[in-house]
Amino acid sequence: MVLLSRADRAPVRRSLISGRDQATKFRRDERGNAVSVVSVHGLRKSFDEIDAVRGVSFAIEPGETYGLLGPNGAGKTTTISMIAGLLDADAGTIELSGEPMTTRSIAPKRHVGLVPQDLAIYPDLTARENLRFFGRLHGMEPRSLSDRVSEVLAVIGLTERADDRAAEFSGGMKRRLNIGIGLLHHPRLLILDEPTVGVDPQSRNAILESVEHLSAEGMAVLYTTHYMEEAERLCDRVGIIDQGEVRAEGTRRELVQLVGQRDRIRVTATGHLQSGATRLELIPGVEEVSVAEEGLELLVQDAGAVLARVMADLVASDVTVSAVAVEEPDLEAVFLHLTGKALRD
Amino acid sequence: MLAWLIARKDLSLRIRDKSVIIIGVVAPLVLAFIFNAVFGSAFSDAGVVVTIPVGVVDEDGGNVAAAFGDVVASLENGGLLEVTRYGSPDEARAAVEDGEVSAAYVLPAGLSQQANAGDGGAIQVIGDVDSPTAVAIASAIADRFTVGVEAISVAIGAGIGTGVITPADIPSVLADAGAITAPAEVRDITAETRQLDSATYFVAGLSVFFMFFIAGLGTTSMLEERTGGTLGRLLAAPLRARTVLLGKALASIVLAFGSMAVLMVASTLIMGADWGPPIGALAMIGAAVLAAVSIMSVVGSAVKSAEQAGNLQSIVGVAFAMLGGTFVPISQDGGWLARLSLATPNAWFLRGLADMSGGSVAEGLPAIGVLLGMAALFLVVGLPLVGRTVKP
Repeated sequence: MVLLSRADRAPVRRSLISGRDQATKFRRDERGNAVSVVSVHGLRKSFDEIDAVRGVSFAIEPGETYGLLGPNGAGKTTTISMIAGLLDADAGTIELSGEPMTTRSIAPKRHVGLVPQDLAIYPDLTARENLRFFGRLHGMEPRSLSDRVSEVLAVIGLTERADDRAAEFSGGMKRRLNIGIGLLHHPRLLILDEPTVGVDPQSRNAILESVEHLSAEGMAVLYTTHYMEEAERLCDRVGIIDQGEVRAEGTRRELVQLVGQRDRIRVTATGHLQSGATRLELIPGVEEVSVAEEGLELLVQDAGAVLARVMADLVASDVTVSAVAVEEPDLEAVFLHLTGKALRD
Repeated sequence: MLAWLIARKDLSLRIRDKSVIIIGVVAPLVLAFIFNAVFGSAFSDAGVVVTIPVGVVDEDGGNVAAAFGDVVASLENGGLLEVTRYGSPDEARAAVEDGEVSAAYVLPAGLSQQANAGDGGAIQVIGDVDSPTAVAIASAIADRFTVGVEAISVAIGAGIGTGVITPADIPSVLADAGAITAPAEVRDITAETRQLDSATYFVAGLSVFFMFFIAGLGTTSMLEERTGGTLGRLLAAPLRARTVLLGKALASIVLAFGSMAVLMVASTLIMGADWGPPIGALAMIGAAVLAAVSIMSVVGSAVKSAEQAGNLQSIVGVAFAMLGGTFVPISQDGGWLARLSLATPNAWFLRGLADMSGGSVAEGLPAIGVLLGMAALFLVVGLPLVGRTVKP
């Protein structure tokens, strides 16, 4: 297993293109260290002869979205079942805001919102009744609950259908209600287990936007998925899990670098291409420059970090640029490299 | 509090589903009405199981025949017999063959004379082969009477021989034979095995039969929640697994008790059923509900899916109903079946109601105690099994 050190794991950005810095939203203690909402150490779980989870460790900080990326059967659901207090681990520890979590725990469960992979709603209750029931179950007072239910209905886009039975909803609406129940009681940790499986593109996008919104508000999110593009879009850090083990974890960039993958910049250009290429090779972080039929191709460590300098040097070299394309190696490639198989195998 | 929250949610879902209203109220009431209409004539207000039409041919005309006439008249008043008098054995035989009567007694000429002489006597019973039970009862009545007559006849012979009884005393002694025989015995039988009237019997029996299905809903609901994924969500909430279990049991108890109470009131108003003292009847219902919920929870926990649980619970429910006398009053059999029926809550429930109908609430306490004992037994033995179902 390849694990990055804690210092290396500080979440920096969500995406190279957006360049959005999220480090500021993490809660820190008096020493400036991030306070983990959940921390998992050496988690193990077996079912009969099958080792479903083998020594999983990670921590998630407030406002951080942590993705567990792996194929079906990798151990994602078993891991989150233990974190949610539905299964007891054979070995290892789970702490929710410093409190140990087991199936018998009460207090730590107040801080967790679970959105299971399969719909966990009562089809014969209305959306509002579903939310109210689970809100009361989490100890919310009736008066504040009514306001909160209205808020959540708005967040999940079901205000107009609040008093309709869930059985009458489309698949996407049911999924959104499923998520709404999980976040109703303001959990510190929201666990989403493959929330977009079987969802239409429109609802899927709404779900992803909701997660981004919650994360921006400071909620820690544990997101399991086998969709690489979701992990790349949402997650500050990703744990690559396979056969019950976290093979590697870090930001997308850290993972990409870990396995030796590089960003590729394709520049469509005319003019003094060779002299431009010679100049670009001198830029720190640029590893390889080649002259192609329609312009230049660069292999760089971080396209976002060097792109502005590349453009400036090309202009200075009398190169006329008509288009620039950046290709980032994705987590699919990382997964393939680490496990020897494709993510959807 | 959280258990009640879960119970309230389950109650709400069940009532919206409406199936519980059909199973718990409509079906037992309708079936009881039908059963009562079809089989109700086999019951009487006096608590006698059947009314047997019999014929009597008196060729004797003496004091023994008169005493026997008093016996059958008394039984007729008690509702067991419906007596028709015929002029000759042939006429009576024809009536039996035509199905007018199930059996006919022929009191032969000289019967009294024989008895008065201390030689005993015989009453002939002509029976309908198609009514073996009625013939058996008619024969038993005749046997009891003749045994009494024979005993008195022997006593008379001995009395005359020793000078204790004079010929002038014989008619009055023989007249006493009637008092010794059946009427008193019939009353004793009903006192030992008190009966509910037909309407109450059927509605009570069917109520407890269907109540078993409602009592099993807690376990099936738990298994449904597991399949549907909501059990995991319940267990992820800040509560203990036993709270979920308690909530499910509470919902079953409330539904089962509610349906029984509604049936009690409805059958009283619509069918004129008599459940006895209301407090006693409600206590009996409560005890039966607790027993049924405990038993069905254990039964349901033996399987893995709601469908399997439903099937197994149905088998158990029907078996208990058959054995417990819901459809046939097995307790009157007096044999091993009657003893076996006491292993079922159904039998104790009906027995308890019958006991109370003949007296006070206190007379139903033994049955209530047994039902609560059954509930406790299955709770203690079954709790670990039931606890296994509370897993996501």
